[in-house]
Amino acid sequence: MARIIGGMGSPHAPSIGALIDAGDWDSPEWKTLMDGYRPMQDWLAHHKPDIAILIYNDHVTSFFFDRYPTFALSVAAEHPIADEGFGPRPLPPVRGDWHFAWHLAHSLVEDEFDLTICQDMPLDHGALTPISALWPDHSKGWPTAIVPIAVNVLQFPVPTPRRLFRLGKALRRAVESYPEDKKVVILGTGGLSHQLHGERFGFKNPEWDHEFLSLLERDPESLASLRTQDYIERGGAEGAEVVMWLAMRGALSDNIRKLHVNYHGPLHTGFAQILLEEIGA
Amino acid sequence: MAGRQIDPDRLPHGTYLNTGQNAMQGLKVNRLCYDLRKQSERDAFLADPEARMQHYELAEADRELIRVRDWLGLVKRGANVFPLLRLSQLCGDGLAGTGAQMRGQTLEQYLATRQASGK
Repeated sequence: MARIIGGMGSPHAPSIGALIDAGDWDSPEWKTLMDGYRPMQDWLAHHKPDIAILIYNDHVTSFFFDRYPTFALSVAAEHPIADEGFGPRPLPPVRGDWHFAWHLAHSLVEDEFDLTICQDMPLDHGALTPISALWPDHSKGWPTAIVPIAVNVLQFPVPTPRRLFRLGKALRRAVESYPEDKKVVILGTGGLSHQLHGERFGFKNPEWDHEFLSLLERDPESLASLRTQDYIERGGAEGAEVVMWLAMRGALSDNIRKLHVNYHGPLHTGFAQILLEEIGA
Repeated sequence: MAGRQIDPDRLPHGTYLNTGQNAMQGLKVNRLCYDLRKQSERDAFLADPEARMQHYELAEADRELIRVRDWLGLVKRGANVFPLLRLSQLCGDGLAGTGAQMRGQTLEQYLATRQASGK
């Protein structure tokens, strides 16, 4: 049987991908952020998960508003690197796991998560930033298969915080009903507080971000009970994407330990990383 | 547009949600920006912006906002910031510059409110 061994939260800003591509892990202004990936990289290298389920959002790269899925799952064996308008990043195509992904599709739809099933879903910075930061050495290919789920957090109505939390619970049922012996890690991406449009551009709320990180670990139910409006008010309109971290947390049990948390937000966005490990797995 | 999750009349000042009439009004501008993923479209826009705005059948109000690089005005009419950033960056305003303009500040004024240089 497959099992979930842990969950991680990571930002997905393209500026982080640019630092990685430049080999600039020690830039003085961003060292606190980039160093925050090292314990996560070490944990992944040690535990070697077979599969990572990646909860992210597309930034109007693979999907346009003419027909916009609320949830989209890629079942592809390989995910192309998208060109967002500045040329594709120098990364090899991302390995998927089509067999596991189709199982996920069946299990999630039977659990009433009626996703759009995608066979060709190029990944943009929402997905590539976290995976290139977590697995910086992909010279011999990506060590872990990536199964991406894109969530609409851009065109309202977006799915509710509780819906994302329940998606996580459905993901856990899907993983635990997979007959093969696989180790799975769940990645929630985005955030934390930021707003990138309107006169409120540049809004950040470190106090709320720290409360969010604390509640995520010990009382995620309270985060699931908040409204989308609460997230917009406290963490900015674009920061409301942090509900994607609730899907990660929903997939974990309550028997977890926090191995690592990091926060750094000097510019537009309050960036955070977290690593939660399942104790029983 | 009201629901249990959002109070459209009580959004924080300076916040514009992509939904309803705004989402529909913004579709053409968003499509122009979406297509700027492609080098050929970027080249075509830089060579003859009026022709591209005509091609995408933009409303005159949107054309004028693009001519004067009024990013806030475009957001207010339904442009989503992520595709819009492709256009603003093509026109020479980076993320910080685009944001500063939306705040009604110069780039220097905005960066002075930050704890990093933004370089």
